[in-house]
Amino acid sequence: MILALCLSIGLAAAASPEEPPPLVKEPALVTFVDAPYPEAAQAAGLEGKVLLAIEIDATGKVAAVTVERAAGYGFDEAAVEAAKQFIFSPAEDTTGPVPVIIEFEYGFVLDVTTRPDAVSAPTSGEPPAPIPTEAPINLEGELREMGTRRPLAAFTLRVSQRGPDGSEVFVAEVETDAQGRYALRGAPPGQLTIRVVRPGYDTLEQQVEVVTGDATDARLWVKNLAYGDVGVVGSYRRETTEITRRTITMEEVRRIPGTFGDPIRVVQSMPGAARSPFGSGLLIIRGSNPQDTGVYVDGIRIPYIYHLGGYESVINPDIVGAVDYLPGGFGVQYGRSTGGAVDARTVEEFPERNKIIASADILDAGAMYSGRLGDRGQHQVGLAARRSYIDLFIPLFISDPELVVKPYWWDYQGKYIYEPKGDHRFSLLVFGFQDILEASTPASTAQGTDTSTQGDLATIYQTHRIVASWEWEFKERWKLDTLFATGRDTASFLLGNDWRLYQGQWVAEVRVDVPYEHNEHFKLVPGIDFLGLIADYTIELPFDPSSLAETDPLAEREPYTLAGDQNAWSPDPYVFAEIRPLEDEERLLISPGLRLSTVIVPGELFSYDWDPRFATRFLVVPKTTVKGSVGLYHQTPQPYQAYRPDDEPIELKLERSLSYTLGFEQELGQAVRADGEVFYKSLSHLIVPNPNFTGLEDEYFLNDGVGRAYGLEVLVRRQSVGRFFGWISYTLSRSERRDYLEEDWYDFDFDQTHILVALAGYKLPRDFQLGGRLQYATGNPTTPYSLGVYDIDTDSYNAFSTGSRNSERLPPYWTVHLRAEKLFTFRAWQLLVYTDLLNVLRGTNPEFEVYNYDYTEHSYIRGLPFIPSLGVEARFEF
Amino acid sequence: MIRPLRFAVFPLLLACSSDELSPSWRIDRLRILAVAGDTVVTDGSAPTAEPRPGDTVQFRSLVVSPDPVGAVVWFACASAGSYGCDIDSADLSALSDGSMDTLTPEEQLALFAELQAAGLIGVEPFLPPSYTVPDDYLTSLTEAQRTEGTPIIVNLTAIPDEADVAEADLEIAFKRLPVSEALTPNHNPVITGLRVEGIDLAPGATLTVVPGYPYEIEPILSEGSVEDYTYVNQDGNAEARTEEPYFNWYTKHGSFFQEYSLYPNTSATWYAPAEPPAETDTLWVVVRDRRGGMGWYTLDLRYSL
Repeated sequence: MILALCLSIGLAAAASPEEPPPLVKEPALVTFVDAPYPEAAQAAGLEGKVLLAIEIDATGKVAAVTVERAAGYGFDEAAVEAAKQFIFSPAEDTTGPVPVIIEFEYGFVLDVTTRPDAVSAPTSGEPPAPIPTEAPINLEGELREMGTRRPLAAFTLRVSQRGPDGSEVFVAEVETDAQGRYALRGAPPGQLTIRVVRPGYDTLEQQVEVVTGDATDARLWVKNLAYGDVGVVGSYRRETTEITRRTITMEEVRRIPGTFGDPIRVVQSMPGAARSPFGSGLLIIRGSNPQDTGVYVDGIRIPYIYHLGGYESVINPDIVGAVDYLPGGFGVQYGRSTGGAVDARTVEEFPERNKIIASADILDAGAMYSGRLGDRGQHQVGLAARRSYIDLFIPLFISDPELVVKPYWWDYQGKYIYEPKGDHRFSLLVFGFQDILEASTPASTAQGTDTSTQGDLATIYQTHRIVASWEWEFKERWKLDTLFATGRDTASFLLGNDWRLYQGQWVAEVRVDVPYEHNEHFKLVPGIDFLGLIADYTIELPFDPSSLAETDPLAEREPYTLAGDQNAWSPDPYVFAEIRPLEDEERLLISPGLRLSTVIVPGELFSYDWDPRFATRFLVVPKTTVKGSVGLYHQTPQPYQAYRPDDEPIELKLERSLSYTLGFEQELGQAVRADGEVFYKSLSHLIVPNPNFTGLEDEYFLNDGVGRAYGLEVLVRRQSVGRFFGWISYTLSRSERRDYLEEDWYDFDFDQTHILVALAGYKLPRDFQLGGRLQYATGNPTTPYSLGVYDIDTDSYNAFSTGSRNSERLPPYWTVHLRAEKLFTFRAWQLLVYTDLLNVLRGTNPEFEVYNYDYTEHSYIRGLPFIPSLGVEARFEF
Repeated sequence: MIRPLRFAVFPLLLACSSDELSPSWRIDRLRILAVAGDTVVTDGSAPTAEPRPGDTVQFRSLVVSPDPVGAVVWFACASAGSYGCDIDSADLSALSDGSMDTLTPEEQLALFAELQAAGLIGVEPFLPPSYTVPDDYLTSLTEAQRTEGTPIIVNLTAIPDEADVAEADLEIAFKRLPVSEALTPNHNPVITGLRVEGIDLAPGATLTVVPGYPYEIEPILSEGSVEDYTYVNQDGNAEARTEEPYFNWYTKHGSFFQEYSLYPNTSATWYAPAEPPAETDTLWVVVRDRRGGMGWYTLDLRYSL
């Protein structure tokens, strides 16, 4: 008999001008068709593997099959003909069934009975005696997938036995039921061989002993050859008004060195994202200030997205379903930011089986549980938590037990999804995170010469949120999407006995969208994005900042305490439309939108402005899309800018960005895509300190700043189809500022002319994977100093710049990370072991410029040197 | 939204150290380390570091250099900017570049008069610095402000003893001279000696050290150097306060664990160089009382063979 062995090894988005959003359901092979073994190849004893690209339509039928890697000898034609008859369950994304392309390796393997060296074939020996139907079941058991313990249904087990002459004698075939169980009546006594051959799985040959009068129960395990290949997790924003979006699979995320498996960190390898200064975790998007980019979890704004040091995001990657990276030109649903937006979206559907993932690396350890409850699995639950342990290791490297440095963080997430019958869907997300940095030195060790700074140092940041969402299709063509979130943020800074800064705020955020889809050519979405803050603060200082006399270092100081509260509200309504005027509605999309940006600080600040935005995409010819956008974006002042202790009105406007983008997307072949975009941003009303501030009665800040950022972004990417994936991302840009009308323009503090990221991953046999990432970036601007003048009273030198602001640059930054991983699959669980080798080639990079005490010498604070990192992840399913 | 200012500290804790820069405690070029002003008294009372209007102040300085020092030029201005007197750099150049010698006596007198108008109060070692506080210096202030005082800025420029002096070779410094009608005017602290490894050194003694060894050195302050004083706060209430001085340490060779020490943990650990220098060595300690008062002590070192 001839066996055909097939192996599904990857999944890619269907070739369409627009890249699909993350898949929530993978296509599954429902009907497999054996290809006839080419006679010539069989006669010659040849085996072969044909790599096919199979396009599956939205109904699960095979639309097209092409040969990606030929095997010759008639294998290719046979495989194509067979694959055309396959039937799949359709893939689905958040919009429903969608067409996809998968790669499929169709293998032709000679059965033991058909090999030239085979001693027997079922038909060559005595035909097996028919098994009486009334015979008792004496061989039974279940078939499960190794590692996941998943019951394997509809698998065929072939049972055979050695004949007296040593030949293989066919006994029976039996198929597993929905629970993966099998049962065979009247199996002959003696040693039997059970063989399972299935596309995508290792061939199983298991010996079992059947004893007369006894029933044999055997649990069998087969190994999947492609664990976790097709989980799609990250994307540029799917919203149709966004003109730039891309998809990253979770497999890719895992294979990118230096990301610690964190999809949110992958953002920093995308076009438009500047290199973040070492340890800062700042998001610098298209020449914007870090605070100009909003970071979100499920559309809810949070204070920061990365834990201390910027190595990991504040959300466990295992509960992240997608990451939306919006570098610019985004729609009116997002506001209060003139830069970009990054939205970590939690998973929208948990797997049907219970799953536990436990992981640990050099930074932290965590675990996640997910599963479903209820007779229909209508209650979905996911729970996750992590805790870093850098603070536990640092003492091992410090000889002085009195010197304490304890940075650590923790985070937690819990999500509950309820889908009752009908048109409703509810979800509840609870998450929180905390970052703490504590440091103290021996009492005899001075921390500077200021007595107020002697003692311990501590910074603590904490955020908690509870987010409830409700989706309801309340009427034909109408839908209601509501989201309510509340929580609290706290931040405190303690230094010595005299410095204490504390701010806490209760946050309430409401988003309501009421999409109306008239037909496939017109959709209207009115909505509101409401944000309210009730903040309280305490400031304790060793000096009175309102007393200018205390700026004299010899003046006597008086302790100062300021405490109070402040409310702020920002109810922003918006509306946008999606117009698809052509008969083929996928060819042209026009999306105008309007948002009203507001900020209200009762009694102090009231400001608003209109944000008209427009975006379009046009499929010019198959595989070529052009896209463009223009829009106004407004940003509310930072809390400290919207504050006066005397409660006098503040004359500040919203910061403004007028943004233009124009780009293209080009399909370059199977799973290869090029994407280019030029952008220009004109910034105005930027808030800068009042240069004429002389007393508390003056305005602290003015809207005198202006800026501009422009550049070109290119991304060429090979999706994770097959063994290889990778991309090259290049950004050429310039970002400039001018704080005051009479001053010169200067390069923005984080301006990086060239940013290049090249990364690749490759799958090796036996579940080994390798990855590499190279990054190059122009050094950040710096201002040169020299000629220090000595202040004898404070024992410090006052520097004078010898050039204009940011007129010089740090040396270029470049680094190479490597990663290797191996997945071990055991019967009941899996273990992933990986190592990240950071900075393998160059080692340290200049990160900050520093001067000696009198500014006659300068040097650099450098980043981390070569660091080998080790991590493990265990996965259990039950 | 609360913003992640937290990251400002963490990178510095994790970052690798920078390439070595010359530390402030190493005397490898011309430096002005300290300046003290003492009022001229005729009634036998102790001179103060905090003159009243009309008082005359005589200044002294600690200027050190591996090479000979040419001159130290002093200015003081009652109405000065943040960095002191408004000085014409061309006039300073005439003092430092040797062109003074080419001037006629009349031109020299004219230049001197111009410098005096700009605030010149001394040119060491030729003209000891001395300054008289204007009688009306505090008249425009409130009583509380007069009690707390306001400073006069004193500028110093140290010039190396070289034929061609570049601007980068100069050491430019400034000091605030508090002028007040304080109830308890400040006095300069006095370091009377040093205690090395628990043993008091005799004044003026030379310390013999073993190369490569650490030495714990503690400054000894005269009685009364750590002063109690009265401060009238913004509410008009008198507060009794005590000075919290700190010490800065300097040397040509070897190294310090940290270049400053705070009262009451006043000692510093100095590591003698493993290779003893051929030249003689010196260690300086400067004390500041945070109210404008300063004092210093110089210790000569000898290396045992």
